[in-house]
Amino acid sequence: MSESTLITINDLKTYFFITEGVVKAVDGVNLDINKGEALGLVGESGCGKSTVALSIMRLIRPPGKIVGGEIWFEGEDLLRKGESEMRQIRGGRISLISQNPMSSMNPVFTVGGQIAEAIKLHQNVQRREIKGKVAEILDLVGIPDPSKRMEDYPHEYSGGMCQRAMTAMALSCNPQLLIADEPTTNLDVTIQAQILKLMKKLRKDFGASVLLIGHDLGVISELCDKIAVMYAGRVAEYSDLMTVFEKPKHPYTQALLESIPRLDVEEERLRIIPGTVPRLINPPPGCRFHPRCEQAMTVCSKQDPVLTEIEKGHKVACFLYDSNVRTKPQV
Amino acid sequence: MSSNSRVKTDEKTEEPYEPSRATRLFIVWRKLRTSKLAVTGFGIVLLVATLALLAPVIAPYSPESFFLTMRPPTLTHLFGTDTIGRDLLTLVLYGARISLYVGLGAVFIEISIGLTIGMISGYFGGKVDEILMRITDLVLTLPTLPLLIVAVAVFKSKDINTIVLVMGIFGWPFMARVVRSEFLALRETLFVEAARSMGASNWRIILRHILPNVLSTVIVIATMDIPWYIFWEATLTFLGFGDPTSASWGVLLWRGYLYLQDAWWIITFPGLALFFTSLGFNLFGDGLRDALDVTTRGR
Repeated sequence: MSESTLITINDLKTYFFITEGVVKAVDGVNLDINKGEALGLVGESGCGKSTVALSIMRLIRPPGKIVGGEIWFEGEDLLRKGESEMRQIRGGRISLISQNPMSSMNPVFTVGGQIAEAIKLHQNVQRREIKGKVAEILDLVGIPDPSKRMEDYPHEYSGGMCQRAMTAMALSCNPQLLIADEPTTNLDVTIQAQILKLMKKLRKDFGASVLLIGHDLGVISELCDKIAVMYAGRVAEYSDLMTVFEKPKHPYTQALLESIPRLDVEEERLRIIPGTVPRLINPPPGCRFHPRCEQAMTVCSKQDPVLTEIEKGHKVACFLYDSNVRTKPQV
Repeated sequence: MSSNSRVKTDEKTEEPYEPSRATRLFIVWRKLRTSKLAVTGFGIVLLVATLALLAPVIAPYSPESFFLTMRPPTLTHLFGTDTIGRDLLTLVLYGARISLYVGLGAVFIEISIGLTIGMISGYFGGKVDEILMRITDLVLTLPTLPLLIVAVAVFKSKDINTIVLVMGIFGWPFMARVVRSEFLALRETLFVEAARSMGASNWRIILRHILPNVLSTVIVIATMDIPWYIFWEATLTFLGFGDPTSASWGVLLWRGYLYLQDAWWIITFPGLALFFTSLGFNLFGDGLRDALDVTTRGR
């Protein structure tokens, strides 16, 4: 762990105990985010991306439970914190922007009132000054005529404006880490671009670290320095942006990148990854990707691959790059 | 609508920002006004409340002055006189005070118990919910009238406050159930999760984030329950379990029903007062339900 690391997640395990069995939504995730860095967490739906986000916030609700691991945030393990300590951190030092801006706003309060509420929770601001502060921050995220529009109710805002307002709320207390859970999923492309531009600008101005969760590699590549690819509750590959795009190592990452339509190459059909994400109640043994993997070996169905650094800053969890396995004669 | 408000805000660009509470009440009133029935209801409630408050001023006589007994309505006694010679109009006016006191008092107790139990039960769920809801079921299945009679008898007091208290204590289960179900639904919403992710505590979420969403339902139920309590008080007194020294509408009915054939007015006027009051509250409550919904703004 270097000096500049903001948050380190070690072997995080979050399971959901439902009647059919145990859903291992997050099963041994390791991640680091440095100060001022933006990490993109990508993966198919249901691979545990959002569960990682909620685990960091300690907002997993029954039947879900964090069963193991450590989350080191500035030298403190968040998983050992009491509820009241966590409340100080939530919204204050770590903020979350969720994927449904419209329904994340309380319908009976004005937008400004809700942002004021967040400010009051974490900062000592005089009552008279709060209005000004709210208007200021709404102006920052590009809400036109903020001192008027702050008196509007959420249903009077458009989806994009709501997302801006939510972003404003998340930033209102200058968090060190901003977790954005698919912040642009429900927005159309123009608004998407605006929000991304906004987040980029805010990242620069506030110097906060960002954990951007999404399945859209295009969106992720706009904003992030590093990418972690998740598959079925585990990190498959972790590296900086260009490495992942240019030299993907994990077969899943390779397949994922090949399934993006490209304008510069003529192709009859788009490549797809056969099969679906396994059910996490009863995941396949060994590497969870092996049933869909074209390069699967015998060892893949027997042992769990470990996330190992194959070059500096490039980690892959795959036996293809494990010298011990490769040298062994394959059965 | 949104274009409408946009135009409005543009017009007063120079004006300093005004607090929104007054505007919100104004919006509720504007929406209420669109329904004729709701306005009628509101008018009746307002009228009854004014008459009750001003009874000592507007009543033609004192409730303690006596005239000829059982006189039919005349110009001097618009509603006639009762079995012991009191002016019936005066009695009905004073009765409104008692009936409103009963209705508001019992509803206050109902809200205090029902809202608290419903909020805790719905938000925390689990064992707490299980226990509280079984208690609620128990109270809900008890037959109200016999129970009220027994309870009044047990308290050995026919004081009006006893009746209010007893009615409130047995009237809360429905409120608790509705509040619980709304909390159950709302605690799963994203805005509650958002509040939690901003670091709000459980009680802060309950009182500041969810309760305001439930308040309109509570107000509507309360409005609809007020006439219900007025009726129960009348029923109890009519059956002889009330406070015979008070002059509530129930007592007037109870005294008058024996003379229905000879003096129709004794039972008719208090009965009509009761009828219009509960009609007013019901219509008003119905209108409020629509008007309090912020997401549908009328014009």
